[in-house]
Amino acid sequence: MTEVYINSSSMIPIDRYYEYDIYDLVIEAYKNFEGEYDVNNIDLIVVANAYSQKLNNASLIAPKIAEKIGKPNVPAIKVDNADASGGAALLTAYSMIKSGMVNSILIIGVEKQSDYPSKYLYDTIATNLDEYMYYNGISSHSVAALLMRQYMKKYNVDGNYFANWAIKMHKNATENPFAYLRFPVDLNTVTNSQIISDPVRLFDVGARADGAAIVLLSSNKTESSVKINRIVSAQARYEFSPSLPSVKMLRNKLGMRLTEKTGIDIHDSYSIMAALMLEESGVFESGKSLYNLDNVNVNLSGGLKARGHAGGATALYQLAEAHMQLIGSFKGKKANVDDYLVISSDDLGIVSYGISLSR
Amino acid sequence: MKIAPPQVWRNKRFMYKLTASKCESCGHISFPYSSYCTKCGSKNVKKIEISGKGILESYTVSYQSRDGHEKGLPSVIGLVRLDEGVEIVAPIVDADLDKLKEGIKVEATLRRVYTDSYNGLIQYGIKFRVAE
Repeated sequence: MTEVYINSSSMIPIDRYYEYDIYDLVIEAYKNFEGEYDVNNIDLIVVANAYSQKLNNASLIAPKIAEKIGKPNVPAIKVDNADASGGAALLTAYSMIKSGMVNSILIIGVEKQSDYPSKYLYDTIATNLDEYMYYNGISSHSVAALLMRQYMKKYNVDGNYFANWAIKMHKNATENPFAYLRFPVDLNTVTNSQIISDPVRLFDVGARADGAAIVLLSSNKTESSVKINRIVSAQARYEFSPSLPSVKMLRNKLGMRLTEKTGIDIHDSYSIMAALMLEESGVFESGKSLYNLDNVNVNLSGGLKARGHAGGATALYQLAEAHMQLIGSFKGKKANVDDYLVISSDDLGIVSYGISLSR
Repeated sequence: MKIAPPQVWRNKRFMYKLTASKCESCGHISFPYSSYCTKCGSKNVKKIEISGKGILESYTVSYQSRDGHEKGLPSVIGLVRLDEGVEIVAPIVDADLDKLKEGIKVEATLRRVYTDSYNGLIQYGIKFRVAE
């Protein structure tokens, strides 16, 4: 049986790169990559990206990226599943190697989100909603706010409870040189921050900016290999009970045993999504997850909240960070972990990918 | 923001009325209308028109607009449980924030959604208001 490994990884700090276009972001990530690893035998390039057509006026970006990194004749495809594009790209690449079709794939995640004002960016993000909501001007923030309000009522918690997530993520990000928001925040700062869509405040929202991250997948094991034990996918619409059935399905499909030496990385697009994901995935009991963040190695990079939200490239950051943690080369907060659970998702948890990794 | 008249015409099923599908197999109501049940996947569905009357289960006051929707901030977005049993997320208009509360009755109303000032086109849609 063919095994699939992540053999190397690279990323650039998430930031607002006014001097770089979408291709420059990839080139910067690839420069780091090329300097360290052999990338001469790539069979395929898979690009994870969600919004290039609308935000960058750029289509057919996969072959263009292949040209710009000096691989003009390596076949390249783009995989798009909104902010879960990275998970979908990994599933695609993993399946192709597992089938024996190819041996080595470069997965490139890239998103360029800082060129326009936020109202234009969030209009683009809102295309992920159903057509009634999109055409009536509703934003993903408001849907998240309704989920958060339902959670607050059900479990009798307030904004202080959700502030625990932002405080923890910013604390983790202070140690991460690749993080976008490398500063600590306290309870007062979080709970008095700007209201976006009540009760969602500024510090409840993942900070979108520009980013590019790359992993090299291969069937060959090397000294820096991390094995992909399993990848599963699930999709189901969020419920206002509130719950994320897709993440619950992942838990059942993945069957991964979580221990204190398991690193966890989740798609914390909103603090409510962090709580629901930690609970639906079985890490914590419902209604209590954000009281217990010191008991688990979760989002050591600072998460979408503080490391930054790279849109469709997010899962590539998650995978690169998990790879670096497991081989001991992560430059931010380190944890002594044996295995990793990565959950890639869109911002409202409709489609989810669960990835189990170990050395 | 630009309005495409063909899109407006196609979208009339959810912008000018609340057309949904009811699954004859599992009873689930899908809104907007879907030829296949969005819960069980059955194609045994029938088209229904939703009454537009329901209860405001929850709501959020939004202070950040999307491009083209700047007017009317802050906006109220509600979680509405319609009498037919389906939950939808919809804009709430004419709301007195001091009096708005969960559990009140709401009803559908046709309102302006946005204006394409370049082409002089106006997009209307179904929003909700507190029922008398």
